[in-house]
Amino acid sequence: MNVKPPRWANKFLQWYCRPELLEEIQGDAYELFERTSKENPRKAKRQFVWNVVRFFRLKNIRKPKSSLTNNTITTAMLHNIFKVAIRHFFRQPAHSLLNVVGLTVSFVAAFLIFLWIMYERSYDQFHEQPDQIYKVLSHVEANGDLTTYDVADSHLDVSSIPEVAKKAIVINGTRWPNELCFRPEGKSTECIYISGIYTEESFHSIFNYPIISGDPNPLGNPNNLAISEKTATLLYGTENPIGKIVKIDDHFEVTIASVFKDVPSNSTIQFDFLLPLDVFKKIRGLSDELFYSNFLPVFLKTNSEIRGDLLTQKLNESPVLTERAKADKISYTAYPLTEWRLKSKFENGKNAGGRIEYVKLFLVIAVLLISMAIINFVNLSTARASTRSKEIGIRKTTGAFRSGIIVQFISESFLVVVFAFILAIGVTHLTLPLFSSLIGESLNVSLFSGWVPLMLFAFLFLVSLAAGLYPAIIMSGYEPAKVLKGELSTRNLGAQRMRKVLLVAQLSASIGIIIFSGILFQQLSFITHKNLGIDRENILRIEPTYKLLKQYDAFKNELLKHPQIKSVTASNANPLNLSGRTTGVKWQGMPENSSATFQILGCNYELPETFGLKLLEGRLFTPQTLDTINTEVIVSEEAVKLMGFKEPIGSMFSIGDANCVIIGVVNDFHTESLRNEKLPVVFYMHPILNCSSLFVKYEQGATKQSFEIIQSVYNKLEPAFTMKYSFQDEVFDTMYKTEITASRMVMLFTVISIVIAIMGIVGLATYNVIKRKKEIGIKRVFGASIPNIFLMLSKEFVLIIVLSTLLAMPFTWYSASQWLSGFIYRIDMPWWIFVSTFAVICILTILIICIQGFNTVKTNPTKTLRSE
Amino acid sequence: MKGYYLGELEELVLLTVGVLFPEAYGVSVMDEIDKQVGRSLNISAVHSVLTRLEDKGFLKSKMSDPTEERGGRRKRIFLITASGKRAIEEVNEIRNQLYNQIPKVALQFKLA
Repeated sequence: MNVKPPRWANKFLQWYCRPELLEEIQGDAYELFERTSKENPRKAKRQFVWNVVRFFRLKNIRKPKSSLTNNTITTAMLHNIFKVAIRHFFRQPAHSLLNVVGLTVSFVAAFLIFLWIMYERSYDQFHEQPDQIYKVLSHVEANGDLTTYDVADSHLDVSSIPEVAKKAIVINGTRWPNELCFRPEGKSTECIYISGIYTEESFHSIFNYPIISGDPNPLGNPNNLAISEKTATLLYGTENPIGKIVKIDDHFEVTIASVFKDVPSNSTIQFDFLLPLDVFKKIRGLSDELFYSNFLPVFLKTNSEIRGDLLTQKLNESPVLTERAKADKISYTAYPLTEWRLKSKFENGKNAGGRIEYVKLFLVIAVLLISMAIINFVNLSTARASTRSKEIGIRKTTGAFRSGIIVQFISESFLVVVFAFILAIGVTHLTLPLFSSLIGESLNVSLFSGWVPLMLFAFLFLVSLAAGLYPAIIMSGYEPAKVLKGELSTRNLGAQRMRKVLLVAQLSASIGIIIFSGILFQQLSFITHKNLGIDRENILRIEPTYKLLKQYDAFKNELLKHPQIKSVTASNANPLNLSGRTTGVKWQGMPENSSATFQILGCNYELPETFGLKLLEGRLFTPQTLDTINTEVIVSEEAVKLMGFKEPIGSMFSIGDANCVIIGVVNDFHTESLRNEKLPVVFYMHPILNCSSLFVKYEQGATKQSFEIIQSVYNKLEPAFTMKYSFQDEVFDTMYKTEITASRMVMLFTVISIVIAIMGIVGLATYNVIKRKKEIGIKRVFGASIPNIFLMLSKEFVLIIVLSTLLAMPFTWYSASQWLSGFIYRIDMPWWIFVSTFAVICILTILIICIQGFNTVKTNPTKTLRSE
Repeated sequence: MKGYYLGELEELVLLTVGVLFPEAYGVSVMDEIDKQVGRSLNISAVHSVLTRLEDKGFLKSKMSDPTEERGGRRKRIFLITASGKRAIEEVNEIRNQLYNQIPKVALQFKLA
């Protein structure tokens, strides 16, 4: 009989089986095994395992050793534990408070981060079947690189794809005509600017923006307007707005057909009015043909669950992808709407993250903060254990089991954690609005909705277990005989080593966070202080009305009469954030089959002067064009370099069908966020009536006066419309809104992490000094000076900090360089931050130790040595 | 009747234990049911039925002498108790009683 049943299965059986049943069960299993193994040993083994598994039934499973749990935990004992815990809590109020505050602060931080992530993830989830809504993105190939736009050919014909149920064009934007002047009733000179979108009938069958009153299908009629509840109150107060007639741009009459519910803040499409596409065509003066030649945002809704990549594939097949699009090297992606908020960055046609990076970053921070607080808790509890060793000893000698003591300590820490948890929930609730305003978003989430309370309970359970288990096991392990003789308490080396390891882990986390936020701030200040090559200070941007544009010369002359106003210009885009990319530039000697991306800016005179651009060669625009055949253009240095002109002035190139001649060259400047590369720029003279922005440069320090001057001139020339304006430096700041929000959050959590780390150090330093009271006394007696003693006390902490810094460095370096690589223009890794963080933490720790230890060290050694 | 409630499998096992007297234990009961009824049960299922019947008092058990066959392990031999016997009889009786009450016509399938 060589073949034996699998050992592990047999062991398992012996382990779980009730001893009184083991013999017969094992016997039967063996008998069957022996029988089968004669024919097929492998089958027999399988069968044996299967039988063992099948025998694993409640009836056959042995009962756990019940003597401990059943007899020792009684209500009386719990009562006692509770009483002792409360007494203990108040015996060392400072210490207990340190514990509670540390936990509370980290909980609050974690909860806030959690709520923020929940909010970010909730974007666009309120639609019906949100996973079936797609945004069509188009990728355009230029020089082998794909550039991604969130628009598609408005002609896109998806009727050949059966899975697509609905398609809608949604024209959104922040300027006219997406921002219109609405006049409150009876006030014909007042203007309230309201933003909205132009779209088609299918809009409401794709998205869920419920209509409260009026026509349920307002977009069916080309003369209808729908407004949000908020707008209705703003314009008409309590009156019923339905049926009122509104003149768009004081010209086109539309009727308010319905009122819809305010768009939730967690919607990527934001609007306060809805107008049919026909109105858009009318106010832009576009023919159908011209309108559909545009690339516009297109949304699709599928009627069944189709994978995004499959839909994408279908979009890129004929006949959806037209021959023309193919010739223009355009390809499409069907991108899930719900992903758009967090993953909207594209590099070379592939998704490259976006806000999700910040979500991940803060998730890591939350986890780090929580673990730091737990480590603090564990360290402080084990450090404090020496003061309780006698209690444990007595408990044990009077008959307590180890499990009973474990239960006692776990419930003690549970009490503290629950206390901190309840406090944290309260504080989170109170600080949420503050936090919202800090990060500039209205978080409409709550800790008390949906699955959140359940998750919180799981969190509470896990944290209290993590915080309580280790100290409980350590403390319950004391041998009563030794403890009562006073031997063990100061010599628990294992626990001491563990404490150091934990402190290293905790400090690494906090050093990591500090260094990372330092780098983040460096990069942000690099961005905001980098010389962009173009001015943004002391420039006011005005959105002109048609009437004002017609009086542009008068406006300009009137302004220039004042000494505070330096110059005035106009353009069709904001030079700080150009969006008019083109790949249609061709020049002689251009490599075959290549294309280059240029920024095109239509402008009026004095644009370079207003924005502080330096003319390097040639001349600026003059009222009399010298070249009557070709379009005169000014280009940036980068453009000259790219096109390789030796003598740029007078050189020719073409944009589309237009032939251009270069009359001047200006210095390079950044045309977009520094996340993107700066592109070559071409300026051309734009008819003033087609300009969308006026820019007024005023004297430094005269902002208020200048603004009043501009306002009054504006009101004189355009009394019917309130002036719409923005300061260029504010425009610049909004370009980095995500980064600024993130940096504020990082700042907040850095402070919190520092606070927690300091608490940890304070706790341990205090404990250390108390523990070594006698040693200090003896050293003092033998002539050690006070600095000597401080040196001795600080030494081990400095070692710990060195270790933590070394540990934190690689991780921080890696994650920081990952984050930095998202910027084309970025700082070098600032090593001095690593060094200075280390230095500051060191100094801080030594300071804490000195302050904490001062009293003890100063005490007359005879006192400390005499007391027993 | 109430006191003697027997499940279908319980009844089968109880009867088999009787058939196998005095050699009824887990594996032999399993084999016998397989042979006579054609139902292959898992040994653990047989065990749980046997212990259930013992709990109900229909079976009693004793440990056999050790044999070489099972690595020297003893078997638990099951025997029918008096109340087990009564249970079988009662079940049988009720069966027959009910069967006999079926009108003859209801069983004449050949004509239909």
